[in-house]
Amino acid sequence: MAILRRIPRWIPALVLLAAFGLIRQPLEHRLREELATANLLLPPPGQNAMQQMSQSTLLGTLGGLRSLVATYLVIEAFNHFSNKEWDELQRDYAIVTNLEPRDEHHWVTVIWHIGINATANMQNDMRLPEFERKRRYHEYALSAVELAERGIEQLPDSVPIRLQLAEVYREKLRDPCAVARVYGEIMKLPSAPGYAERFYGYFLADCPGEEEQAYAYLMRLYHAEERHHKGTLVTKIRELEEKLGIPPFQRIPAESGEENDSATQGGKILVP
Amino acid sequence: MTDPDTASPSPPPRHLAHPVFSASRVATIAAGTVTQLIRMKTFYFLLAFALLVVAVGNFNIPATPAKELSMIKKVAFGTMDLFAWLFAIVSTALLIPRDEEDRTLYTILSKPVRRIEYLVGKLCGVLVILAISLLAMFAICAVMISMRESAFISAELSSMLSQERYSEDEIRQQIGLIQAQGMRPELAVAVLASFLKAAVVAVVTIFLSTFASSSLFTIIVSILIFLIGHAHSMATNFWLAETENNILVRMGAKVIRILIPDYQLFAFSEGIVLGEPVVWGLVVQMALITAGYLLVFLLLSLLVFVDKEF
Repeated sequence: MAILRRIPRWIPALVLLAAFGLIRQPLEHRLREELATANLLLPPPGQNAMQQMSQSTLLGTLGGLRSLVATYLVIEAFNHFSNKEWDELQRDYAIVTNLEPRDEHHWVTVIWHIGINATANMQNDMRLPEFERKRRYHEYALSAVELAERGIEQLPDSVPIRLQLAEVYREKLRDPCAVARVYGEIMKLPSAPGYAERFYGYFLADCPGEEEQAYAYLMRLYHAEERHHKGTLVTKIRELEEKLGIPPFQRIPAESGEENDSATQGGKILVP
Repeated sequence: MTDPDTASPSPPPRHLAHPVFSASRVATIAAGTVTQLIRMKTFYFLLAFALLVVAVGNFNIPATPAKELSMIKKVAFGTMDLFAWLFAIVSTALLIPRDEEDRTLYTILSKPVRRIEYLVGKLCGVLVILAISLLAMFAICAVMISMRESAFISAELSSMLSQERYSEDEIRQQIGLIQAQGMRPELAVAVLASFLKAAVVAVVTIFLSTFASSSLFTIIVSILIFLIGHAHSMATNFWLAETENNILVRMGAKVIRILIPDYQLFAFSEGIVLGEPVVWGLVVQMALITAGYLLVFLLLSLLVFVDKEF
């Protein structure tokens, strides 16, 4: 007992600390995996993101202020948007999407900024020579597509990311086949908007070589339900009837389709 | 034979006179700690918090209502978490040295109060203040988020209805998106996560303050331990990749993992704030792990504090 009393206190303290550490290690490891599986614990930021961070953002991230750092970078990215500094904006969002990969808003916003705003700016920025504007326009549009693919990898069931991707294909890359493919993916998702299945048909109709398939699909929609009898759908069917030379007795009646498709007006698509 | 009239009354049994652990003595010390912390005007930071939440709520960036709500939530809960652990460190680091300075410690320990009761009482006092602060911050957040949510919903409704081209289903979907980022009861679990983390931070700080020479030392070392505890799992992967799985780095990382609490685990509040569903089984396990930390670090504190000469 006397020997025990003579042992410095830090020794049993260290033994207790180490024993507790050894016991909790496997428990915490298992818990970490379960929390990550439940998406409650975010994965560590990638090595590239850590290397891109400034000292303060890195310290904030390592210090558990991940969401605050992400929000700060979103605000900083907005300043870059105001100043039309697209590369800086993209760099900020590269970190933000690494810090919070499961936040759908970040993906949607960066695709919108790079795919729609940056490309629009390249169309109008007269300070740059035309060839450079064209080059950057395509570069930004393709970057947006790449970002969308990374976002979909993280959130496979995301409708808003796909809607934004479809917008880039439609407005900037003028690729109706790709738009149709994206809407084809959207309509299979549980939270797909009601207009997705019509949009798939509309863009398929504009895709060279897919006219017959589009006509069959749109006719199936037309006959399936009254709610599909939108002006755009009827117009698309009539265009295809002309293109494919459908005999008059097989064409849809002339008085069909009074109502316009709300989702197509002004090209506006509901993106949260 | 002893004369019953002259014999002194026999002393009460030792366990009745001075029980090994008295909850009432702990409660008295905890109540004293709460008063002490309130007198330090600790609740003033709530004002700063409220101002910050209002400021973020009125940021004018072009975002959808759902995104704006998500941003308010993230900033509010992130700040709440930051205040909680910082408060846990600073207040706990100040308590024992302040008692020594005021000589209250000598008065307390000269009474039949065991040192473990003193430590547990101090910790409970800090935890009560932390719980009150977090609840107050949560209430401020809830009011702000609910106000913004209802404002966004009514604006969206009137805009969509006035355009007369959206189906009921589309309107419902859009409102659902806003509500998903609004005030939900699950957010209370995010507050609980911050509380659990702050509790571990507080008990580690108590341990440090039992042998530290000054409050400043305790605060600096506690913050350092917090940063390491938060970063080691992230940083280890980074270092291992950089050094191509060096054995020394691996061993160093293992030692750090054993000795320093893993604060990163408590970051599960971030997932809840982002809208992920709560898994109650995991929350219970986190509470049990926290209880383990409290118990072990209190024992460690006692080991150091029990023989300390004042």
